Amino acid sequence: MRTREVVIAVSVAAMVVLLAYAIEVGGLGPIAPQRIRDLAATYLINTYNPWNITLSSLSLEAVTAIVWDYRGIDTFFETSVLFVAIVGVTSLLRGFREKTGLSSAGLSEIVKTSTKVLAPLILVAGVAIALHGHLTPGGGFQGGSFIAVLFILLSVTFSLDYAISYGISSRKLLALRSGGLIGILVTSLALLIASLILGVNSYIFQNMAREGAPLSMPSWFLDRPTGGTLIWFNTFEALAVAAGISLAFLVLSLREEEVEEALGQVEWYE
Amino acid sequence: METLFLFIATVAALLSVVATYLAIRARDMLSAVIFSAVQSTAYAIMFYIFMAPDIVLVYIPVSVGVLPAVTILLIKRTERYER
Repeated sequence: MRTREVVIAVSVAAMVVLLAYAIEVGGLGPIAPQRIRDLAATYLINTYNPWNITLSSLSLEAVTAIVWDYRGIDTFFETSVLFVAIVGVTSLLRGFREKTGLSSAGLSEIVKTSTKVLAPLILVAGVAIALHGHLTPGGGFQGGSFIAVLFILLSVTFSLDYAISYGISSRKLLALRSGGLIGILVTSLALLIASLILGVNSYIFQNMAREGAPLSMPSWFLDRPTGGTLIWFNTFEALAVAAGISLAFLVLSLREEEVEEALGQVEWYE
Repeated sequence: METLFLFIATVAALLSVVATYLAIRARDMLSAVIFSAVQSTAYAIMFYIFMAPDIVLVYIPVSVGVLPAVTILLIKRTERYER
């Protein structure tokens, strides 16, 4: 039995290596060329192009510029998918309230101490990734999921009771998540509202001035580039993702006593 | 230098294949989750070497942090050993 498994594993690995070799020598058709394609070159030239602002997003990072500026509505609906899933989880188990004094006091002192050292580092990394999304790789979703992982880590090592006793509840996380989503909505409509007041044309998800739509978001804060709408989108997305994933974890990790109370409440409604 | 990077990517790819196989074969669901996390780590290395740092930053917290946490909660609610 053991030898059979080893043989299967080695043969699968050999297949991967041979396939990779075949692709490398071009045996399975042409692979991606070394030179940059015209579409990619267009994005690379125009992502930060202060001489022709009507094609540019004034962001130093091409991926964030594509994700939140050139393809903004795409990303908006991708984000909606995640949040609809979280709404599904919370509505499935609606009506429960967190109780303290149910779980144990968490993991051992060694784990707690090392988590105390790690926790601020993870928080700073998450916030930096989110706020520098228009300068370096990363963005709102990445930073937000870092912060959500921090919440999961703390609620595992220090027990859920500890997190709840610090005032974290599913209602507050839901409010934070909704605040982030409203922020994204306001940012995407900000220039539209401003143009209605000033009486000029503009688009939804507009960042920099376009042909026929002269308004643009402020792209500098003191001496720092902000990428116009990008820093706002990244901030609010980080807030919404961190609160949303933490909320999903909190709801999924609820204890039997809390479930029973929620079920009793449903019967009471009926 | 490029050869070294390709060598690291190859090692990560082989590791991911072995970890995937072990994750599928494992009878203990908890060790299957851990093998899956090992596979995700190998994929994160490959994404980094193939110049997709944005994907790495989203792949590490989701596949090594959130996904095992949720799956372990699921195992805790159901059964640990596959019959």
